[in-house]
Amino acid sequence: MTADRPPVRQNDAPPLIVATDVVKSFGPTPALRGASLSVAAGEIVAVMGPSGSGKSTLLHCLAGILVPDSGAVWLGDRRIDTMGEAERSALRRERFGFVFQSGQLVPELTAEENVALPLLLGGVRRSAALGDARAWLERLDLVGLEERRSGELSGGQAQRVALARALVGRPQVVFADEPTGSLDSLSGEHVMELLVAASRNEGTTVVLVTHDARVAAFAEREVVVRDGTVGAQLHQATRS
Amino acid sequence: MIRLGLRLTLATGREAIIRLLAIAAAVALGVGVLLVSLAGINAVHAQSTRTAWLTTSKRNLRPSNDEATADPLWAEANLDQYAGAVIERVDVAATGPRSPVPPGIPQLPGPGQFYASPALSRLLTSAPRAQLADRYPGRQIGTIGDEALASPDSLVIIVGHRATELAQAPSARQIRSFETAAQGAPGDAHPGRMQLILAVVAGALLIPVLIFIGAATRLSAARREQRFAAMRLIGATPGQVSAIAAVEATVAAAVGVVAGFAVFFGLRSVLATVPFTGQPFFPSDLSLRWANVGLVIVGVPATAALAARLALRRVQISPLGVTRRVTPPRPSAWRAVPLLAGIAELAWFVGRRPAGTTAQIRAYGTGFGLAMVGLVVAGPWLTMLGSRLMARRARRPAALIAGRRLADNPRAAFRAVSGLVVALFISSAALGIITTILDYHTASTGGTAGRNILAQAFGDRDFLTPDGQRIPGAATVPDTVVAHLAAIPGVEAVAEIHVEPSVSDPAMGPGPGLVACADLARIPALGRCRTGAEVTTIPWFEPQAGTITANHTATVRGRPPVAFPADRLPSLPVAAIEVGTDGSRRAIEEARTVLEAAFPDRNLPATIGDISADNAQLIDGWRQLADVAIIASLFIAACSLAVSAAAGLIDRKRPFSLLRLTGTPLGVLRHVVALETALPLLLVAATAAGNGLLAAHLFLRAQLDESLQPPGAGYYLAVAAGLILALGTIAATLPLLRRITGPETARNE
Repeated sequence: MTADRPPVRQNDAPPLIVATDVVKSFGPTPALRGASLSVAAGEIVAVMGPSGSGKSTLLHCLAGILVPDSGAVWLGDRRIDTMGEAERSALRRERFGFVFQSGQLVPELTAEENVALPLLLGGVRRSAALGDARAWLERLDLVGLEERRSGELSGGQAQRVALARALVGRPQVVFADEPTGSLDSLSGEHVMELLVAASRNEGTTVVLVTHDARVAAFAEREVVVRDGTVGAQLHQATRS
Repeated sequence: MIRLGLRLTLATGREAIIRLLAIAAAVALGVGVLLVSLAGINAVHAQSTRTAWLTTSKRNLRPSNDEATADPLWAEANLDQYAGAVIERVDVAATGPRSPVPPGIPQLPGPGQFYASPALSRLLTSAPRAQLADRYPGRQIGTIGDEALASPDSLVIIVGHRATELAQAPSARQIRSFETAAQGAPGDAHPGRMQLILAVVAGALLIPVLIFIGAATRLSAARREQRFAAMRLIGATPGQVSAIAAVEATVAAAVGVVAGFAVFFGLRSVLATVPFTGQPFFPSDLSLRWANVGLVIVGVPATAALAARLALRRVQISPLGVTRRVTPPRPSAWRAVPLLAGIAELAWFVGRRPAGTTAQIRAYGTGFGLAMVGLVVAGPWLTMLGSRLMARRARRPAALIAGRRLADNPRAAFRAVSGLVVALFISSAALGIITTILDYHTASTGGTAGRNILAQAFGDRDFLTPDGQRIPGAATVPDTVVAHLAAIPGVEAVAEIHVEPSVSDPAMGPGPGLVACADLARIPALGRCRTGAEVTTIPWFEPQAGTITANHTATVRGRPPVAFPADRLPSLPVAAIEVGTDGSRRAIEEARTVLEAAFPDRNLPATIGDISADNAQLIDGWRQLADVAIIASLFIAACSLAVSAAAGLIDRKRPFSLLRLTGTPLGVLRHVVALETALPLLLVAATAAGNGLLAAHLFLRAQLDESLQPPGAGYYLAVAAGLILALGTIAATLPLLRRITGPETARNE
């Protein structure tokens, strides 16, 4: 890792996301066994842990993708885990942005159309949505690639398009699940720099799931999930 | 390798089994349609063979061996009518003990006896005697067996006579055996025409079916290709991968063939009751020959295996995976040239009708062929135009995604519906032409007025006056017959057309008939006299096209008077009796029965409608076949689309499920799938139907100088029913969307 670490911030902002004693099982297999986590507004948190530890499940519960078997998840003063599917979908669409490891772009759409998609879903006029999308592509160093489709982009370019799509709706929280998992270290680092910079500029909270310590180092705080519970928490300041 | 292929097909989990079942279901549907088509052709042939005896002539195509030693049989075949239904009446009289016996009866009926088919037996019992049974004096001594009937609904009667009596009948012939060689469909003057039509319909349906099977084999192609790439990585050769694919396809096709046979035999008795050719079949008619069975059992799996091998050649499966997705080349506007050329050719012949049948077949055949092939060629380009327009104008994400996907690979989108183009083009053109010709025919035969006039023409035999003068085509009509006719409720007038001996020539035939203007006035459809006239001339009525049209022209100015005393008319022999009725079944059938009983050895009376009904029955058969082709092809096309949609969903389940995770409502994704499938379906259906009707119009203008009459409600209903069925089938794939885009998919992918 050659990039400078992000400045350490002692975050005393009120918590935006709070999960308490979250339990989630898939059939007989327990994934979370009473995980609790609090994320402050504007904070960048990395969730780490070995494979199968439950870190992705925790992210999915925080994002309202999965409903916990027990426990509670709050976004500000709204309790997510008791919402219906439609309400959670609306929440994800309007308040959250997502970046996954790969394969998230609609293959038939161009890069700018993929980025504009959340805005179009929100009822924004086509021309305005495409204008915003182009602006984000420019911010993420993707000028000239607007008309390309996912199959015509490199892995790093496709992830940056996905990042633009996650940020274009100015979400409160970006959930990133192994966003650099399919990239080489240089490309991954570039994507992370852009994610961190953009979220700082926008004041966006970021919950980042990774098993890569170099990626986690871009976060202000690291939490470790082991056997379905949130264990050690490490602030960048403490670590450095 | 075959064993490995079998293991991969049958024992690699739920997804493999689902894919196997989906392909098998598609093959089963295709095999079912194929078997029904083959059985339909066999059934028409069986009908024709059984009813060959009705086409007996002095020179049979296949005479019986004992013809030389048989006693001649006097026989006369006529088409009688009752309430629009055709009754095949055969009068017979033996001249000796070895006279041939028609099939379906144990022995010849004697004088005063008759055999009737089961359907006619029921009708004789249920219809009022005065309307039907009184035509056949004597008693029924049995029913005609199925082996002599086209269908369970056939109305056939075999009436016995004395030889001396039947020998007087003008159309009676002496025969020594009955024909046994099929000469085409019952009532069809052109041998093999119905078989040809069935073959065309089968072809029109088979193309969509083959495309459907092709679409099914592409189910989860991406997943399968990944697996094949993994096999290449561990050392499998392209040939081995290809062999495994062929085994998979063969197993699925074999399962589908078995299921297809089950579908066919399960539905056979129901299908037999559908009057595809105007008459229902006996269930046993819809049978398969061993050659048909062998062809399907061997041919379908072999074709599937070949198709699977060919399909793999389209993608490059290297050990590092399948070729990456790039934008395929766009179809160019040149694709529209054959379609435009076909339409232009048909348009060019308007006002330049080619002389001679061969030249006409060549001219119109080329035009129709070019237009049809042109539609298939132009299809991807038209799909691209439509989808680009949709994507460009899209304000909602669903339209944008669907439009882009269609524009991205319009060939694939069109492939699923290309079979529909052929079926809908042929059906629309055929129905347009049939409807117009039928309208033209109905109009030229006087429409309703013509159908309400029953005519007994005596043109079949000469009349000898008491002084020995031979008058062509005439008879004497007893006053009691006229009185009896006039007394029937619903009969409005009885007019006798008389022959004037001085203008009739035994060598040339009868001259124009004479009619009293008072009688003519009561049957206005035949024309009217000029004011003051008492007697006028009229072409002695034969229920043939054109007569009444000519009379309409005469009606405008009125027929000219003839200098012949009205009171002397009754002394002249009669060429024809015209019975004007109110059109009620009772009036027409009672009058027909009176005339048949009064003149048993003359031509049967008929209305113009009867002649039209005979043609209309056959044309209706075609129309029903065309309707069946429309509905079936739309349904099959929808199945192809649904399978393509499902395959597209399975291949895109990761981006779609991730979109759903990010909050995209399921409704948006549903709209994407609906638009992706419905747009090509509707676009292609409209284009094919429109071009079919346009081609029909140009043909009618060129050949008959007639404009296309809009097809009847049946056509629109068939298209609407087919589209509803198609859209319903597409909607059936939507639940799959919810399942495969659930959170679990994104987690597990």
